[in-house]
Amino acid sequence: MEAIVEQLTECVVKANKNKQALCIRGGGSKDFYGNARALRYPKLEIRPYQGIVDYEPSELVVSARAGTPLNELESLLSEHGQMLAFEPPDFNGAATLGGCIAAGLSGPRRGYAGAARDFVLGVKLLDGRGRILNFGGRVMKNVAGYDVSRLMTGAMGTLGVILEASLKVLPKPESERTLCFELPVEEALETMRRCAGQTLPVSATCHIDRRLYIRLSGIESAVDAAHVKLGGDEFGDNLSFWESIKNQTHPFFRGNKRLWRLSVKSTAPPFSITCEQAIEWGGALRWFAAAEDCTATAVRAQAEKAGGHAMLFRGKDPNISAFHPLPPALLKIHRRLKRQFDPAGIFNPQRLFPEF
Amino acid sequence: MQTRLNERFQNTPQGREAETILRNCVHCGFCLATCPTYRLSGNELDSPRGRIYLIKQLLEGREVTRKTQLHLDRCLTCRACESTCPSGVEYAHLLDIGRNQVEQTITRAPIDRMLRFALRKVLPNRNLFAFVLKSARLCRPLLPERLQRMVPAQPKIRQNPPQANHPRRMLVLQGCLQPALNPDINHAAERVLDKLGITLLEAQKASCCGALAYHLDAQPEGLDAMRRLIDAWWPYIANPDKPIEAIVVTASGCGVMVKDYGRLLKHDSAYAEKAARVSELAKDIGEIVAAERPELTRLLENCPASEAEAIAFHAPCTLQHGQRLDGVVENILKTAGFRLTRVADAHLCCGSAGAYSIVQPHIARQLRDNKIAALTRDDPTFLVTANIGCQIHLQNGTQLPVRHWIEILDRVLCGETGDRNP
Amino acid sequence: MPRANLVKAFRKLLPSESVLFEPEDLRPYECDGLSAYRQMPMIAVLPSNEAEIIEILKICTAEKIPVVARGAGTGLSGGALPHADGVLLSLAKLNEILEIDPDACTARVQPGVRNLAISEASEAYGLYYAPDPSSQIACTIGGNVAENSGGVHCLKYGLTVHNILKLRVLTIEGDSLEIGSEALDSSGFDLLALMTGSEGMLGIITEITVKLLPKPETAQLVMAAFDDVEKAGAAVANIIQAGIVPAGLEMMDRMTIAAVEDFIHAGYDPDAAAIVLCESDGSNEEVADEIEKIRDIMHMSGAVRIDTARNEAERRRFWAGRKAAFPAAGRVSPDYYCMDGTIPRKHLAEVLRRIEDLSSEFGLRCMNVFHAGDGNLHPLILYDANRSGELEKAEAFGARILEICIEAGGSLTGEHGVGIEKLNQMCLQFGEAERDIFHAVKAAFDPDALLNPGKAIPSLRRCAEFGAMHVHRGEEKFPDLPRF
Repeated sequence: MEAIVEQLTECVVKANKNKQALCIRGGGSKDFYGNARALRYPKLEIRPYQGIVDYEPSELVVSARAGTPLNELESLLSEHGQMLAFEPPDFNGAATLGGCIAAGLSGPRRGYAGAARDFVLGVKLLDGRGRILNFGGRVMKNVAGYDVSRLMTGAMGTLGVILEASLKVLPKPESERTLCFELPVEEALETMRRCAGQTLPVSATCHIDRRLYIRLSGIESAVDAAHVKLGGDEFGDNLSFWESIKNQTHPFFRGNKRLWRLSVKSTAPPFSITCEQAIEWGGALRWFAAAEDCTATAVRAQAEKAGGHAMLFRGKDPNISAFHPLPPALLKIHRRLKRQFDPAGIFNPQRLFPEF
Repeated sequence: MQTRLNERFQNTPQGREAETILRNCVHCGFCLATCPTYRLSGNELDSPRGRIYLIKQLLEGREVTRKTQLHLDRCLTCRACESTCPSGVEYAHLLDIGRNQVEQTITRAPIDRMLRFALRKVLPNRNLFAFVLKSARLCRPLLPERLQRMVPAQPKIRQNPPQANHPRRMLVLQGCLQPALNPDINHAAERVLDKLGITLLEAQKASCCGALAYHLDAQPEGLDAMRRLIDAWWPYIANPDKPIEAIVVTASGCGVMVKDYGRLLKHDSAYAEKAARVSELAKDIGEIVAAERPELTRLLENCPASEAEAIAFHAPCTLQHGQRLDGVVENILKTAGFRLTRVADAHLCCGSAGAYSIVQPHIARQLRDNKIAALTRDDPTFLVTANIGCQIHLQNGTQLPVRHWIEILDRVLCGETGDRNP
Repeated sequence: MPRANLVKAFRKLLPSESVLFEPEDLRPYECDGLSAYRQMPMIAVLPSNEAEIIEILKICTAEKIPVVARGAGTGLSGGALPHADGVLLSLAKLNEILEIDPDACTARVQPGVRNLAISEASEAYGLYYAPDPSSQIACTIGGNVAENSGGVHCLKYGLTVHNILKLRVLTIEGDSLEIGSEALDSSGFDLLALMTGSEGMLGIITEITVKLLPKPETAQLVMAAFDDVEKAGAAVANIIQAGIVPAGLEMMDRMTIAAVEDFIHAGYDPDAAAIVLCESDGSNEEVADEIEKIRDIMHMSGAVRIDTARNEAERRRFWAGRKAAFPAAGRVSPDYYCMDGTIPRKHLAEVLRRIEDLSSEFGLRCMNVFHAGDGNLHPLILYDANRSGELEKAEAFGARILEICIEAGGSLTGEHGVGIEKLNQMCLQFGEAERDIFHAVKAAFDPDALLNPGKAIPSLRRCAEFGAMHVHRGEEKFPDLPRF
């Protein structure tokens, strides 16, 4: 494994010297995600750098190399009755831990348990100068120095190559059950909102195809009690439904239409837009499967009005920035940070924003 | 906290006491949260921790000016900080030492001196104050509206003193301002205790408890008032034939002072022992009534059940922080069938604080308005408190009646006119 | 600009009582909750709104004057220690709760609002703000964000970083940034995480949107006494391993138990070597089930006494003992020095043993309070500041404890921050390259290094000097430990 790190370092040092842009890549499960230009550059393959570095179930912490396949990591945790509580998608099954952290994507449980960034405790990083850096650690609480580990989460590899990551893990719930309600969107949003204001063991919500799905997770008696409180029918195929939402294999996400992801204030009213919509995270995540005539400007304006932002998740368009553009003052800080971590601008240029 | 007291103070009793208190403070800042003046100004100098620091630099021999005096003056001595302090810092004692030192170092502006002098002379003098108040009430219609509101109205007096002479006897502090402002409080206490089988006695020549002068930068004057009061009480206390059980105080502001006599006079060999005995006997009227709970409950059974009236109780700082009697009066009122509304920030001072509302009118008014807002949020039919100062001060800021709780308990037990005989 | 001119300039912006510049007024501002470090600022200003802060920062930027932000001054690492040539910017007057949105479960507040005040204001809606540092009655939310404060419930409910949504930040260059959003994530880098715990070095926070949670239906507490610290440590591990995430999981050692029991009378077992407090909250069903499991595990782990609080009053009393641990130290000893290291839980027994050795070596007593759930150790070193040399001894003792935590794979601070106090140990926890990145991050926000300079991140020179001294002392050398 040491040899791989040496190789990667050498590669970065050389690229830095020659100002040669690189595309950092793990399993390629998220090649569709972000701005496409970065994919043209020579690949810095991380997948070979894999393996669990340390896992102590009683510490609730796992550390693994970036190339470790996500499903391998998750099955190890599962053996010990634990899980990654942010339920990261692995799309085509090839996702790696490094890509999972770099993209910072979280699944259905995010609205209730937290996001990828909430569980990142530490990273080992290869910066633009080819230096290996350690931030954070393997303890739950650590406020020494700036939180660079979380800064890496969702930075799409633009600030450095994640070599290892330590994550907080949580016990798997004893029991899970999904309830299903036939509800129009307004009532579904209202129900989601009511759930959020009470101490119910809700772990996921999704409104899709005019049905509201609510997943309950916890000890059996608590799940029973919540079921009684909420009513509704038990939906049989619990696991595969949520898998299909998480990995976007559900028919809603398929097809050639553009898929917009709007992250908004959970109480935002339903959007008046003529396209198919799905809602997750108690109302805080809205998906638009939109035709091409639905302009980016219009979608982004709606998202901003609802206190959030819009991302073109699938269906790349060279004329549309995948991520919501930043206001000038924030862009200034982003550019400066980029320059500090990656002075030659070699890591995933423009994958995140066209400006760097 | 580290201390390096100036030689001048190192070997004085006050200096030693101050040092012990200062060493207990770990500078955690919890007291900031419950300090009324800090909550208004957000300035560390108007917080207990800031004042402790100001006093510390004074005792460490650094130069201080009128500004230190100003920030010490602004303290209400509500002692909410002491209730909050996890390290047991006796802030009020330290403040007394600090104020006394500052008073000796800094000369006040003439106008300030005059005001304080006048207050010290008029307020504790029962007859003089009664005369001033009477004159003011007479002139009231002629005064501008703002001043009109400052003159407390004449309350309804329901004199109906009990005649019984019970074997259980207690002394009652008559007070200085209270008889003129609201004599009904002590009358009510007499009637209620009479029902409970206790006779209240008033000592001749007993006057002010000394709190006003003591907290108006004339500590020696205040101590003299205390000695006079002890002298007036002593024949009753020392009488072996007809012993008194307790000294009842119906104003919590006076109560906290009398309970502190023992400490304040401990270095006065002539009075130390007597003062300690007085402090030992001193009880708030709430403590006395609470101790008779079974009898009270029995009496209440015979009273016509009144509809559960919603009342808002303001616990005076001297009751909840000074005497640490949080919840005592509240429980009595609940027993008597009243519904107490929820009051946010119940630990905060109303701004009355002895003569504070006169010497610091601006802060006092802000605190009063905040307090009234907190008290009236759940629409009570009237407000209730346990100290004459708070009662008058609050009444200035609201149309709702403000009463002493013993008055309303009296009305329940003895009827509107004070003559009900169950 | 000379001080007099600066005072004049500030007085044009603020009422005169809000501009402090004489030693008499400044001395009470010379330290925060860590009074061992003291420094008077050149000037202290007390603005009451964002517009005033903007103008103050403009003057400071133009004149290159350092700015140190301060909330309630309850911090325990000297993070708000003033700068001798700088302006102390008190945010205490910005203490308004601007909005509570019970539907979205959020509150928008100013930085000077007290942590507990948010929960008090949300109570009417059945909501509360979860992070509860021990100083929650007094500490401000702005300070919580600056330090990424935790609390006894953070194993289950997270730290400040997990419970805030959005910040309004003024940069020293005069830009106003909206970081984060009312949604659950936002576009671009996670600057919200970067700002949280940045100890006032990156920007001045003027508004914070926090997440509120529904109040749990019920809470229940188990207190277990052990005759051996190792067994108590094992009990903690067993609880976690059994798939339980308790709302609170705390441990105290023998000396702490004695000190606390003396004045709180919490009902702890005075003969115990360690006590573990384990709280469960949630719905009635969950709590009943979890408490039963916890009791079983405590029993299996060898607890000599297991008590479940019989009622709310007893639950509060059990907690009161734990919460009073720091002040109890203040009653046992005139001064105490509180450390804040974190360690992987499995090293607890070993670390405690080494602390005990150091205690006899330095001749100073030490109490240990432990947020066992998340490995956060608070050794309280007892000393007397009025005895010459004792503070220095306490500091040396503390430094050694932090070094032990770092060696064990932990961190030198779990929740109190680095501030001025732990700068030297930062040189041990991070190598030169990491520190270089920290300085680079700072430069991205504050190119002239005017915000809280000299805190949190040691200069390269300081580390070089500290390193030389450290090796020179001939004690254990600390090679650049890999953090993984």
